Amino acid sequence: MKQLVALILCLVAATASADPVGRVLDSHVLPGFARLAKETASLAAAAEVGCDERDPDLRAALNGALRAWAGVSHLRFGPTEAENRAFALAFWPDSRGMTPKALAGLIAAEDPVVRDAQTFAQVSVAARGLYALEFLLYDEDPAGSDAYRCALIRAIARDSAGLAQAMAADWHDRYAALMRAPGPDSPYRSQDEAMQELFKALGTGLQITADLRLGRPMGTFDKPRPKRAEAWRAGLSLSLVIAALNSQKQLALMLAEGDAGLQERLGATFDRALASAAALDDPALAGVATPDGRVRVEALQQRVNEIRELVAQELGPELGVSAGFNALDGD
Amino acid sequence: MTTRRGFLVGLAAAGLTPRASWADAGAPAFLSAGRAADGSYNLYGLDTDGRPLFQLPIPDRGHAAAAHPERAEAVAFARRPGRFALVLNCVSGAEIARLSAPEGRHFYGHGAFDAEGRTLFTTENDYEAGQGRIGLWDASAGYRRIGEFGSGGVGPHDIRLMPDGKSLVVANGGVETHPDTGRVKLNLPVMQPNLSYLSLTGEVLEVAQMPPEHRMNSIRHLDLRADGLVAFAMQWQGETSDLRPVLGLHRRGAPPIAVTGPEAEMRAMSGYGGSVIFYDGGRRVAVSSPRGGLVQLSDVATGRITGEVAITDVCGLGVTGGALVASSGSGVFTRVGGEVASRSAIAWDNHLVAVNGG
Repeated sequence: MKQLVALILCLVAATASADPVGRVLDSHVLPGFARLAKETASLAAAAEVGCDERDPDLRAALNGALRAWAGVSHLRFGPTEAENRAFALAFWPDSRGMTPKALAGLIAAEDPVVRDAQTFAQVSVAARGLYALEFLLYDEDPAGSDAYRCALIRAIARDSAGLAQAMAADWHDRYAALMRAPGPDSPYRSQDEAMQELFKALGTGLQITADLRLGRPMGTFDKPRPKRAEAWRAGLSLSLVIAALNSQKQLALMLAEGDAGLQERLGATFDRALASAAALDDPALAGVATPDGRVRVEALQQRVNEIRELVAQELGPELGVSAGFNALDGD
Repeated sequence: MTTRRGFLVGLAAAGLTPRASWADAGAPAFLSAGRAADGSYNLYGLDTDGRPLFQLPIPDRGHAAAAHPERAEAVAFARRPGRFALVLNCVSGAEIARLSAPEGRHFYGHGAFDAEGRTLFTTENDYEAGQGRIGLWDASAGYRRIGEFGSGGVGPHDIRLMPDGKSLVVANGGVETHPDTGRVKLNLPVMQPNLSYLSLTGEVLEVAQMPPEHRMNSIRHLDLRADGLVAFAMQWQGETSDLRPVLGLHRRGAPPIAVTGPEAEMRAMSGYGGSVIFYDGGRRVAVSSPRGGLVQLSDVATGRITGEVAITDVCGLGVTGGALVASSGSGVFTRVGGEVASRSAIAWDNHLVAVNGG
């Protein structure tokens, strides 16, 4: 019996390593989007129950949805991007302050688009999705009537759930199969290309965490920008950094499968960054406004950049990603 | 003993620089930024075979350059989001001027002179406003900053003087970036590139946009034909699996058109047009893709792709003696579709800049 179990385990392991893309899909991508769909469905349900901005259940549901998004926000290709879904679900960063303006416009006009899901899908992406909802739930000076804001909150929550559901379904029903079976009918000509797409997603995700999630509020030493932190109103900025790092650690370890040494180095480097984040005790990254706090956020950013370095220097070559002087420059 | 270089530098310091011509600089055919084998960055003057005639050190990785129409002066731009550009005397090697982007601005890596070489125009980012600007520098008075105007869009990149000598064409890439966040793209959900035609005093004469499905196709690099036809290279910011052209053509007063061909050939460019150039007397146009490792050739009259040549990490394109040439990040300088003209240990950066006085 023991031998049989061992034999089955060996077979499973052999199948797994022969299909690294499938493993990433089954253990990382599909569960991540299923979770996003579930959390946003809970958010929509919570908004139906109570649409008061300060409702703790509603706020908790938004937090859950934002964390679930942070866990897949690096997977911005295929179904995530199709039909502008990611732009509509996660309009961040909002470099020109479009979200407050777009929401104020809807509220001032009591725009009837909120009544119907299909028409609501036509409004500016700046007024849709989880970050628009965060603005409404934490707006210190809410405008308009309670009834309209309630309808708007419900419309955004429903729309977000629909977008996440569409992403999850499209990944599950269509795109996963295309990644599993590279060839003429797939966007990927080979398994290597599919692995490289996942590698690129990891690199982009780490860059977003270092340069946007942390770098944007840091601004410059003379001009820190705490109000540019992701979801600072909800006090979730650091928590989203941690959610993203945890998810990207899982992906990195899977991409390094077969090289135990590299896996160990990657794990240790991610753990150093996660420990640095856990020790930060600065939920909205507001500390960037003080010299001490900024140094600590900068240290965390440095830890994330160390992961990027290791990923580019060691994991990239292992997956056949070469670093051309011009090809990787992008200008 | 006075060395020639020391003597010239002394003259430059005294404001007595002889007006060296491009012939004095060895009559280079092209300028190119590059990285030497020791890791240092330089601006190079190249002969028609891509062999360096001179090299002038620059402090960081370069991008493109602007060659003065008459004097042997080149403006070497830092790679974006750089804050510096060096004006170099290509005979003596002396630094004639150092352009520093004003407070709140950075360069994008490209610039153009007016026909007489009196004014230099540079593409810049007003990054707090997220708006493109064109900086004006007086090339006849030590490259003093003399003004600026709007670029007609966001993220201006390449800029050229139109053949009429009275207007500029600017590739507004549409992508907003901020130096605090490096090269991260901040506005993809709402980006909108365009080609803007501006008078030399900044009036917007015409703005051309591709149809809505190309909203995420960032217009970055340009070439002009003598009759004013503009070729523009684009970089797709959307899904890699989307099929989008990397090359377009535009004539003022008409809508822009995309250069297209069989799906496989379009896909091979990886949605990324690097440099673009007219050749064969303007009958044909080439666009490079470092990501695809290809130079794609097209017929201008039909707007159709006619062929491609594979060159690893290719980007810079030029025309010399009627022949299309290409430079690459692996140091190869080649006649496209023909023989390798030279190999070097220098990694050639994105663009070959033609020296008209050469």
